[in-house]
Amino acid sequence: MITQIIIDIIQYLFFIYSICAILSYLVLATISAIETIEYKHKNSFVNYKEIMSSTISPSISIIAPAYNESLNIVENVRSLLSNHYVNYDVIIINDGSKDDSLEKLITVYNLVPVDYLMNEQIVTQPLRKGIYKSTNPAFEKLIVVDKENGGKSDALNMGLNISNSKYVACIDVDCLLLEDSLQKMIKPFLEITDKKVIAAGGVIRISNSCIVKDGKLHDVNFPKKLIEQGQILEYIRAFLLGRMAWSRLNGLLVISGAFGLFDKKIAIQVGGYDKNTVGEDMELVVRMRGYMEEQNKKYKVAYIPDPLCWTEAPDNYKIFISQRNRWTRGTIETLKKHRKIGFNPKYKTLGVLSYPYWFFFERMAPVVEFVGILYFAILVISNKIRWDYAFSFIVLAYLFTVFFSLIALITEELTYHQYKKKGTGFRLLLIAFLEPLVNHPFILYAAIRGNIDYYFNKKKKWGEMTRKGMTKA
Amino acid sequence: MSIHQSLFNYINESSLIIQVTWIMSAFFMVVIIPLTFYFRYLRKHLRKQERTVALYEQKYESYLINYLYSGNEQEIISPEQQVIINQLKRSTSESYKRKILISVLIKLKNEISGEIAESIQTLYFHSGLMQYALNRLNHKKWYVIAKGIRELKQFHIKEAYDQVILHINHPRREVRKEMQLYMVSLFHFEGLKFLELLETPLSEWDQIQLLGVLERLESKNISNIKLWLRSNNKSVVFFALKLAKIYNQFECKEEIINLLNHINKKVRLESIQVLNYLDVIEAKEILKENIEKRTLEEQIAFFKMMENLYEKSDESFIINFIHSEVFEIKVSSLKILKILNKDKFTKLKVEFPDPDFLKIINFLENN
Amino acid sequence: MNTNKKVLIAEDNSVFLLLLKFRLQKEGYTILTATNGKEAIDLIEDQEPHIILTDIMMPFISGLELISYVRNKLKRSTPIIVFSAAGQEEIVLKAFDLGATDFMSKPLSPNELIIRVKKLLR
Repeated sequence: MITQIIIDIIQYLFFIYSICAILSYLVLATISAIETIEYKHKNSFVNYKEIMSSTISPSISIIAPAYNESLNIVENVRSLLSNHYVNYDVIIINDGSKDDSLEKLITVYNLVPVDYLMNEQIVTQPLRKGIYKSTNPAFEKLIVVDKENGGKSDALNMGLNISNSKYVACIDVDCLLLEDSLQKMIKPFLEITDKKVIAAGGVIRISNSCIVKDGKLHDVNFPKKLIEQGQILEYIRAFLLGRMAWSRLNGLLVISGAFGLFDKKIAIQVGGYDKNTVGEDMELVVRMRGYMEEQNKKYKVAYIPDPLCWTEAPDNYKIFISQRNRWTRGTIETLKKHRKIGFNPKYKTLGVLSYPYWFFFERMAPVVEFVGILYFAILVISNKIRWDYAFSFIVLAYLFTVFFSLIALITEELTYHQYKKKGTGFRLLLIAFLEPLVNHPFILYAAIRGNIDYYFNKKKKWGEMTRKGMTKA
Repeated sequence: MSIHQSLFNYINESSLIIQVTWIMSAFFMVVIIPLTFYFRYLRKHLRKQERTVALYEQKYESYLINYLYSGNEQEIISPEQQVIINQLKRSTSESYKRKILISVLIKLKNEISGEIAESIQTLYFHSGLMQYALNRLNHKKWYVIAKGIRELKQFHIKEAYDQVILHINHPRREVRKEMQLYMVSLFHFEGLKFLELLETPLSEWDQIQLLGVLERLESKNISNIKLWLRSNNKSVVFFALKLAKIYNQFECKEEIINLLNHINKKVRLESIQVLNYLDVIEAKEILKENIEKRTLEEQIAFFKMMENLYEKSDESFIINFIHSEVFEIKVSSLKILKILNKDKFTKLKVEFPDPDFLKIINFLENN
Repeated sequence: MNTNKKVLIAEDNSVFLLLLKFRLQKEGYTILTATNGKEAIDLIEDQEPHIILTDIMMPFISGLELISYVRNKLKRSTPIIVFSAAGQEEIVLKAFDLGATDFMSKPLSPNELIIRVKKLLR
């Protein structure tokens, strides 16, 4: 009798959770549709060619940390230097690389050490060989900083100290920025007059199988491997539906570490990137937002849905799992560090909407799903399973995911239509039906491992942070 | 009992959860199928549309080139040209064809000057396209209005002035921006008169665009900006300050000095920067008096000004700030001291052996 | 006399390209056209035009890269006229540093362009 009641209660809880999740996704999709139409209308009035030629446009520093990137560093820097924006510089932070990255840069770009007076507003690991600039005027925008290893956050903080610009674009050195990316990203900062824009996030697109030459994107292709296709679908869903809606609600919590633009003054005021988390990109945004709320200032975290930043995604399950494991821990750490924001009406949207959403549907989702599977297994073993119950839940979850993916794909076609080639349509549809089966189990596994590593394997983090600091997307 | 019947019974007898779950599943199933087909259709449609647009573009491009090269000296419109205009007129009644035609005209017009540009304008007028644009100005939707204004700007239709200026304080910033660009692109510095009527904010983005248009003009004869420096709209003041700097409006220095006591701190800050740029030495003396009461940004900007406008007599003032808490102020003061009194500057090395302080001294010594 | 002279126009604006082609053909030149830097480089390599007219902003390979390719990789001294948008003085200076022969700022007058082409081909 008692067990029956417990079973009922558990089932109702699962049921309520699922309904809430489905509803929240539907609401987000609706909001994102409204926002997308609005954005499209607004954007048709912008002539980006005009702003880039203006010399009074504000200064931007691109900060790109690099750790043992010798293989591609020269090409990557060339790509960063080819942006069409006028008033910008590129700061490469060589974070104690053990390879010949610095030597390569010195030879190719004719670098020489320079005397540089830095205002060390955020404490970082010290410089190693110092700061370099090019003697060739063609590369006058380039600054290369060689410092002792301290991880990605530490490197970015060094960049914040060095930059003389009003805005900083923090990026992964291996991501490919389109030539008009900076003027598109700077727009909300200059355009919105009734609020202070503190940061802007861009969309990350997956460049696997795309043709990239001389640091420029020549042709967009749809990759062959299911794992890559699945991630493309996942990114489209997350960026075109999820973040678009959150930006409308002004509740965006994450800006991808691969490409984000920040108001430097505020980023420094809150202390820069946190060295003690693997989710430094999310953590900084949450902290900046918290700070603005505490100061009672009107602010906005903007979001640009145009495909401006292309990056290579993991093409094998091992790297994929370790990436997602890290993302999970990043989320847990950030939410835990800022728990005072959560459910706190003092922090308005941030406290009562964004934080709870992230907590329940991003942070807890894999845990709930895992518990559900465990529960299912117990029922099977103890022979109490009602197959029709189990089956109905699985079918609903599957159909909803497919439905949501289809909405995302249709949005993509109506807006950016990046995968133009004939025949790709069928493959996009196919992956919408397969993704829940091929990628999702690995994501779930990685998230559970992330939880376990977070609570029981603290050592792992430290090894990882100093050894390899790069995160994709 | 049929399958249909047993299914019905099963649903009926199940608990509420199961009923809801199955109903929702059925719903999504029903939605997914048409969505799949729609997706396929959409891709095909987009591809087809792209082809059609390209086709029409090509067609209109060759019409246009023919039109441009079949003119003669005597008439505004030659008979051959009239034939082409009539052909195009038929297309303009369909909105998507009109859109393509306009984009082709603009594409060429942006690139060329002289008589060919004028000839395109004649075509725009006689093919009836202009009337469509004028009609847009009274539309309910903001983006239709904005597009209309933009088109009139691109084709230099000065006659629409009266209708365009009506949108000066439109609630959508996109409409306002197009209105402003229309004024400045067509009437140049004269067009800036709208600033006197502007009640809405002029964003930084708008300002950059307007300055971009002005920058491309040959004439640099700016009208009197004093009125705008005194505007109640603070964004107009910002814009006027930018103009003062770019066009070296030294004769406005009194107005700008007055802005040093403006209630908005950003206005005060930018005034300091512009006065610095214009080398207004009086401003330095005024600021010196109450510098410590000003915001940090203003103080930093003031010391930047000192770097530019120092005099021998400033030494005793500057010496008070070489140990300032603020990095920028400390560096500026030391820089000035180095120039004014090299001996004293060098002696600091012995007097204050603090490593951070020495770092700055050493840097300044070498640079 | 002009017929044996080949003029390459590299310009991504199709209708502007068409206009220039028409205009220059009337003067008796043979016209090669490219809508991006990649096509332009291919044409320069096989057809060896006598003069190159190029826009600066083009997809894939910009006009600046094109100049540098002709001068440094191919080591050719073919005259190059660049078109730039107004207010891009900085870029024009760069184009001259790389070896451009002449420049015209858009919007440009086709007649003036013809005069410059003739002068350079004389």
